[in-house]
Amino acid sequence: MNIPSDRKYSRDHEWVKMVDDTTALVGITDFAQEKLGNLVYVTLPVVGDDVIAGENACDVESIKAVSDIVSPVSGVIAEVNTQLDDAPELLNDDPYEAWIFRAENITDFSELLSADEYEAFTREEA
Amino acid sequence: MGELKRTILYAAHQDAGATLVDFGGWEMPIQYPSGIIAEHLYCRSRCAIFDVSHMGRVDVAGPEQVAFLQHVLSSNVLALDVGQAQYCIIPDERGCAVDDAYLYRFEEGRYFLVINAGNIDKDLEHLQREAKAFDVTLTNVSDRWAAIAVQGPESKKLLMTLSGGQALTKENLKNSLGTLTMEGRPVRVAKTGYTGEPIGFELYCRSEDARYFWDRLLELGARPAGLGARDTLRMEAALPLYGHEMGECELGGEIAIYSVPLAKFAVSFAEAKGDFIGRAALERQFSAFKKILNRDYSEMQNLPYRIQPICLEGRGVLRKGFPVYSRDAWAEGKPVGYVTSGTMIPYYKTEGEGLSTVITEQTGKRSIGLAYLDSRICEDFDLEIDIRGKREPAVVVPYHIRQDAAPYARPILARTETKTPAPSDRRYPERAAELLVKARENHLWRQEQCVNLIPSENTPSRAVRLLCECDPAFRYAEHKKQKAFYDEEIFYYQGTGFIGEVEELLSAEMAKYLGCREAETRVTSGQMSNTAVFSALMDWKNRVDRKRPPQRLGWVMNNHIVRGGHLSAQPMGALHDYIATDPVTEKQMVVNFPVCADDPYRIDVEQTKKLLAEYRPEFIIFGKSMVLYREPVAEIRRFVDEQKIPTTIMYDMAHVLGLVGEHFQKPFEEGAEIVTGSTHKTFFGPQRGVIGVDYKPEDLKWSLWETIQTRAFPGSVSNHHLGTLLGQLMAAYEMNAFKDEYQRAVVENAKWFARCLAAEGMDVAGDPAIGYTETHQVIARVGYARGPEIAARLERNNIICNYQATPDEEGFTASGALRMGVNEMTRFGFGKEEFQKLAGLVAACALRGEDVREDVIRLREGFTDMQYCFRDEEVDRALETLASATGL
Repeated sequence: MNIPSDRKYSRDHEWVKMVDDTTALVGITDFAQEKLGNLVYVTLPVVGDDVIAGENACDVESIKAVSDIVSPVSGVIAEVNTQLDDAPELLNDDPYEAWIFRAENITDFSELLSADEYEAFTREEA
Repeated sequence: MGELKRTILYAAHQDAGATLVDFGGWEMPIQYPSGIIAEHLYCRSRCAIFDVSHMGRVDVAGPEQVAFLQHVLSSNVLALDVGQAQYCIIPDERGCAVDDAYLYRFEEGRYFLVINAGNIDKDLEHLQREAKAFDVTLTNVSDRWAAIAVQGPESKKLLMTLSGGQALTKENLKNSLGTLTMEGRPVRVAKTGYTGEPIGFELYCRSEDARYFWDRLLELGARPAGLGARDTLRMEAALPLYGHEMGECELGGEIAIYSVPLAKFAVSFAEAKGDFIGRAALERQFSAFKKILNRDYSEMQNLPYRIQPICLEGRGVLRKGFPVYSRDAWAEGKPVGYVTSGTMIPYYKTEGEGLSTVITEQTGKRSIGLAYLDSRICEDFDLEIDIRGKREPAVVVPYHIRQDAAPYARPILARTETKTPAPSDRRYPERAAELLVKARENHLWRQEQCVNLIPSENTPSRAVRLLCECDPAFRYAEHKKQKAFYDEEIFYYQGTGFIGEVEELLSAEMAKYLGCREAETRVTSGQMSNTAVFSALMDWKNRVDRKRPPQRLGWVMNNHIVRGGHLSAQPMGALHDYIATDPVTEKQMVVNFPVCADDPYRIDVEQTKKLLAEYRPEFIIFGKSMVLYREPVAEIRRFVDEQKIPTTIMYDMAHVLGLVGEHFQKPFEEGAEIVTGSTHKTFFGPQRGVIGVDYKPEDLKWSLWETIQTRAFPGSVSNHHLGTLLGQLMAAYEMNAFKDEYQRAVVENAKWFARCLAAEGMDVAGDPAIGYTETHQVIARVGYARGPEIAARLERNNIICNYQATPDEEGFTASGALRMGVNEMTRFGFGKEEFQKLAGLVAACALRGEDVREDVIRLREGFTDMQYCFRDEEVDRALETLASATGL
């Protein structure tokens, strides 16, 4: 299981990579993409919308189901990864490169785990 | 996961790292590590295997097994021959489905019913309750048998490796069954499936052999696919799933059986089914259904909704439960239905068109599904889907994939534009001149630079061609025998003296050639000859009672198209409007000539005799378009006479009309009563037809002959193409003058050419002991589905022959052979030396992809002079005079 140490992790299996103190990229982890299976559609959040830590930011769809992406941060959507519109499978192929959205003006975070803590957490979940 | 049941293959799924889920009480693989998309694509491109052992399997036996099954199933059980399977539905009294199922008849004396895993208990309760009223025994044999679905273009190859080359099913057709051993273990095979693949099988084996076969199939290159891919594949094939397209309806109540498109195949109202469960409700649904197909909604209350395939054109993914809207006024902004199944599926992109379509490695995605829609909604309707609050456009489509171009299931994308040619704005004189230039190019190419090996084609002599173009080519000469004038021919128009004489001479010349008493020459094609005969037979049959609806023909014995039977002798061809349907089985009353197990090109005479005794067909049609051997006319004539089977024996000689004689067959001497044919294949004529009969005025069937003549004119023609009629007389003279040398040369050349091709490494069909062929045809196998590609390559090298599906292939797109005829090139003087050279060139091109175009042109160059025609000075002079007189 791939868990890079250059970012933090939420208990909802998202990763948060700080760009600066109030800006971060958000995506899903390798554990998440493997559980979800082939991803075939992403409904990206809207640029300019607010996101709240612990609440749904957007969703991703596999063949069988729709899954919510819970935002690990509170802030504003600054940018979305439009590559995912035509190639949602990037989330499966390269989950740590295929970010979903960039949040700015971040005011709050969900409880975030370090790489080691997230690894222990996933071992419990399995 | 508690008390979940496991199939015998559970360990295999674990070993493969499958993700296991609860499916109706069973712990089943939803996918393997490769993922659903890869599994779906592998099925469509290679071969996927599915563990379907969780489904229910019930053995039905006992004296009243048929009556019981007729009572509890929607289908006509009597339509099932041994070695066949049928899709059916288990209805309830309201005309809704308890379950859908498949009924198999592997052997005489019992039936095998397969039901959905999630409904086993419910179905068995229902069936056992109903069984109490019948002397029948139901046994749940689910544990005894395991089942593996093997689906995809390579599935047949893989399974035949296990069978050691033995045929998997009785016939190479969907729903055909087989019982055999594979690597020493007993199995049952069904050519059935739930993926929409044109080639796919279900393998039933003993539970103890399941893991062996599963591992062997993986070894041979199959990949496992789970329930996830099984669902995406069946959805792409628009097949119903109980719980979605049948059973509970999200709008309340349950879905009516006729809402499901497959109902029209699965439901029968045959008399033999009596008052089966749900009959009354289903008849009401069916009546509404028929009206709805005609856009008559007066009975819509009995079938308010129908399930149809839909394709999302906007963004997102279709899913079960999404409301569907239509912009039509009658919808008034309310939902017109809901999505019953939906997802996003992958497909392989293609390049090119038609037969040269190439399936690329690139894939796309599309969101498709099925929806329960107001019955007023038809194909191409614009819809809107509510996807979690957002409206996205969608459209109703007739299908998502097509199975008619084996070996692949072909994805059909919604609203693909077909190209229409741009209208020309060039002046007519310019276009006329260009047409003439192009015609000359084509003529020279074909006549001087190509080696023409299409067996149904020939080039007529100059004399024939010239006569075809001069007056009376554009005239009429309709005539009919008038009883008031002792059956004298009465002509309706003036200026018909010459052609009237010609036609009389032609009938006599054709009768002489065929070896019979009478000939009808007004028909303008081989298929028309056949239609006229079929029409006449049916009319003649009904002459004894004109007051009741005319009875069609049945039983009719013919060669099946898959085994080379001509199109016109099939229900899909000229036989279409004349063949009767058996009210008991609801199937058309055609029985095919059986063929030898070791030589599918040869009729099995002993088996045929058995079928003749059983079916006592009123009409027997010999003749084929893929033909290597003589037809066993004499043996069959002897048998039907001995057995006193009243029948009419016809030989559609089509291809081999020009071989009538001692080098091939003498049809009337052998016992045929009627001969039809095309005058332009091995016969020297222009493109026309002919009907010959040997009846005498005092025969019972003389009036049949008179009917044949009236079904020719005015039944089939008004204008009978006087130009080619005139040319045909010259051709008949040529045939009668040269037939001995020509026929001997054709048959010798065919055998020689076949031998040379075999020596060059080509896989020639037919019995080597007799020289592979007895006709003008040579058939060479070039590999499954490679026919079209190789025939195209040969054409680029100026060798013209056609791709041919042999009895082993599923259809012409999967053709695995080439069909060649030596008749035309023999006429141009090719002898042994030339055919040997040609065999080398064909092999070089077909087997090794070499460019032989220049060699072919050089070979043809010396052979543009027609043989077996009149080259006397007298004739030549007359020809020149005629040519200059006509200005042609």
